[in-house]
Amino acid sequence: MAAATLITNIEKLKDLLVDVFLIDPKEFHLDLKREQIDTWDSLGIVSLAVGVQETFGYHFTQDEAIAITGIRDIIAALEARGISFDE
Amino acid sequence: MSSPPVQDLAWLKTIPPSSALVWATGSVQARVSQELQFGMAPSFDDIPGAVCTLIAVGGGSLMDQAKYIRARQRPGLRLVLVPSIWGSGAEASPVVVLNREGGKEIASGSEFLPDTVIYWPGLLATVSPARARRACGDTWAHALEAFLSPLAGDQLRGQLAILIGEMLRLPLGNDPRWFSLSARACAFQAQASVGLVHGIAHVLEHPCRARHPEQEWGHARLCSAFLLPVMRLNRLASPKWSALARQYAIDEPAVWDVLQRLFEPEACSAAFPLLQVNWTKVLRDPCTRTNGALIRSRHLDEIERLVAA
Repeated sequence: MAAATLITNIEKLKDLLVDVFLIDPKEFHLDLKREQIDTWDSLGIVSLAVGVQETFGYHFTQDEAIAITGIRDIIAALEARGISFDE
Repeated sequence: MSSPPVQDLAWLKTIPPSSALVWATGSVQARVSQELQFGMAPSFDDIPGAVCTLIAVGGGSLMDQAKYIRARQRPGLRLVLVPSIWGSGAEASPVVVLNREGGKEIASGSEFLPDTVIYWPGLLATVSPARARRACGDTWAHALEAFLSPLAGDQLRGQLAILIGEMLRLPLGNDPRWFSLSARACAFQAQASVGLVHGIAHVLEHPCRARHPEQEWGHARLCSAFLLPVMRLNRLASPKWSALARQYAIDEPAVWDVLQRLFEPEACSAAFPLLQVNWTKVLRDPCTRTNGALIRSRHLDEIERLVAA
């Protein structure tokens, strides 16, 4: 029987953000900031909110989505909702 | 932003012939000349300064060009729009979609709204059944994508649900009642944006025409053809469509039946190789980025499967 693959929340988030912001997976790191990603514009904020809801089941409020300035902020906001990002 | 007033053909005939020119798409020029006493303007650049009313008769592209050029070059000119077919809803929308080298440019603003709209059912006499059905598909794409858009609020979704109910009661074909429904769908989508169907149509329209010049490729055909696979993808990717359809009492099986009748598998298959080549552009299109479900790079394979299914 093949061993089940457990996808961590960090991997889920990386997979999501690569698609939301159309970035090269090799260039992804947790310290990326909004100003470093050209597609993290007003439409990017909308896509991010849709993607987070589909992936983690949490709907960012408009204020939360706008206040996020980097990937670590996304993690912090989700951890505050009980979603763990421990490795 | 209020909708432009709607008048009838009799009103148009009260305009003094010397003060207005008509700018009409080729397919309706003969009919327009037969019915109206105004001169024809070959292009916008040929409108003399003494002319104070421009009557633009045509499809979405021509109406959007007229809206844009009037706003930018002759803001004092009165603009009357007469759609030659429904679907684009351009006559009721503050949005303009312009063909530019390398793709579409989208602009929006109240300055793009016309002063008056005329619905002229007589222009539909020469519209083929296929073109009429695709124009219905364009209207359906506006309504459904606006309904699912993450930018749509509760009130707008309620209005769209009522509109969708009215659309379900009309046949998919040549019926002038589609004019007003299409205008409402377009006005609503201008408030909420659209989704992947429009992203695909905006990116593929030009390459499809270049690759298959013998076929009638246009915005309406692409919207109509891809609406079923994209809605199926939305349903697979997210529970949102079904949940919202229930919440707003939309007859979901009836909508799927309409989408099935609009679907053109041969058109989707012919366009799919171009979709593969242009997929990154589609993902970057502003319309795709406001799709109801998040569109991800891997979804191209899913669309291929759904087109084949």
